[in-house]
Amino acid sequence: MSRRVLTLAERSESGVTDASYELIEAASRLAGGPDRVSAVLPVGDASEAEGLREVLPAGELLLVEGPAHASPTADGTAAAVLHAREASGAECVLLPHDPVGWDVAPLVAARLGTAAATAVSALSWRGDGLVARRSAFLGKFVQEVEAPGLPAVATVERGAFPAREPGPALSVRILPSPVGPGDLRSRLVEVRDAGAGGVDLTAADVVVAAGRGLGGPENLDIVHELAAALGGVVGASRAVTDAGWLPHELQIGSSGATVSPKLYVACAISGAIQHLVGMRGSRFVVAINKDPDAPIFGAADVGIVGDALEVIPLVTEAVRDSG
Amino acid sequence: MNAVALVKQVPDRNSAFRPAGDWIDESSLGYGINDYDRYAVEAALALKEAGHAAETVAVTAGPADAGQVLRSCLAMGVDRGVHLVTDRAHLADPFFVARALAGAVSGLDAGVVFAGLLAEDSGHGQVGGLVAGLLGFSFASAATGLQFRDGRLEAHRELEGGRIAVVELRLPAVVAVQTGINTPRYASLRGIMASRRKPVERVELAAPADGGGLRRLTLGRPERGASAEILPGSPQEAAAALVPRMRAGAGVSFPGDTA
Repeated sequence: MSRRVLTLAERSESGVTDASYELIEAASRLAGGPDRVSAVLPVGDASEAEGLREVLPAGELLLVEGPAHASPTADGTAAAVLHAREASGAECVLLPHDPVGWDVAPLVAARLGTAAATAVSALSWRGDGLVARRSAFLGKFVQEVEAPGLPAVATVERGAFPAREPGPALSVRILPSPVGPGDLRSRLVEVRDAGAGGVDLTAADVVVAAGRGLGGPENLDIVHELAAALGGVVGASRAVTDAGWLPHELQIGSSGATVSPKLYVACAISGAIQHLVGMRGSRFVVAINKDPDAPIFGAADVGIVGDALEVIPLVTEAVRDSG
Repeated sequence: MNAVALVKQVPDRNSAFRPAGDWIDESSLGYGINDYDRYAVEAALALKEAGHAAETVAVTAGPADAGQVLRSCLAMGVDRGVHLVTDRAHLADPFFVARALAGAVSGLDAGVVFAGLLAEDSGHGQVGGLVAGLLGFSFASAATGLQFRDGRLEAHRELEGGRIAVVELRLPAVVAVQTGINTPRYASLRGIMASRRKPVERVELAAPADGGGLRRLTLGRPERGASAEILPGSPQEAAAALVPRMRAGAGVSFPGDTA
């Protein structure tokens, strides 16, 4: 089978994002070779992509060019992806499962008369359709879904595929964009830092992370005490920062910080994939959770199954006593 | 123009879920409103209170008992509900759901449609975006802030690495909200009383045609690559056994260690 697969390449300060290379690897495996992978890069002017041809290891690099793409928008990027899909004849479109993909994938899927398979970690063809492995129930379960018709659309989890080594694109095509700035319904006003609060999670040797299972902000004291006893800093899962128990800059996981400390202690964190991608570089992981089936135990070295409110103070005490 | 909230009935978060066939065993589950959608409802109410919407409408697709989530929206202060009645099994395909919701929304004079970023059960995270795509509305996902300025809607979107994108949207627009964008209100007793007199329009949906967007195949627990060693014994014993393992595994010393 020689179906083409299209991926979205996103620019970063130093070239293209790591996610772009992971998507090309995922697409290459699905398509049966990098030569059948097309990567689309929306650009305001093709000269912006100079040099990227040498590092994007796809069969073809499609530059969708026009002033509408000078800065990225949901509908502008979706239009570029749809245009490149038609031009390449790709039967599957792979987008990152991140805030860019969340914006673009449904707009692309709706235009193709389908839904996207999202939060995907594995992909295969089945007949004239696509089968995707994805996470459901906030990471508690793994689900297989089928998109019975092609073209299909999927958003791929960060880290599900290794990043492909940079290399030259076999060919480059410049496609004039089908949309002008006046056609777009959204406009990027600015991108700014949310403002870090002085704690550098990424530099800490020890991170103690608080999860929703702690029940409420009144129970965070025990997490701070454990962090103090371990000489570490406090981080949090998305649920905790969303609930306002801790500030957003302490969030670990996709759309938050990526940490790789020597010691990571997950307190009452279930371990949704969105959290795991932010901490799996840690050297030693401890999980404390009352649910023995919590996915966090699959990512931990040592676990205690029990009520975090009871166990955490005991661990703090044991650490102090051990000195 | 009106403010619309798309809401979904989902199994209670704290239920003991068991995979069964291509989904979970639903025989003994309680149901309630998807947590993310409470933030969508609050955003719609706030829009009206700020004078940017005439009326608030909550729309759901689901079985007969999904009417309960509309009642809870009305009790929070939403003016009226639209219930697209369909089998729970038909909610498996986000495209089917989105097409039904888009059909309903197109008749509501919607200025802004709010959706939760994702549903806690299926977690597809795209129904709002599909509705936008089908209706040709503007779209922003993962919104953590909203601002109306001179008749334009600005959405703050959370990007990776702690950055925020500020996006200006033409109306009508669909905004998929992150939890944390606001603080959803609780229903007051008066709100609950008043909700009983508020209208809910019921529309029976036709069964989905063959094909569609997505089909469920299997559901199971994640495989454990390297599974944790679970420390046995009482909590005290487990805590005591943990400390030397942390020292050795992580190769760190702790502040209380005597030099």
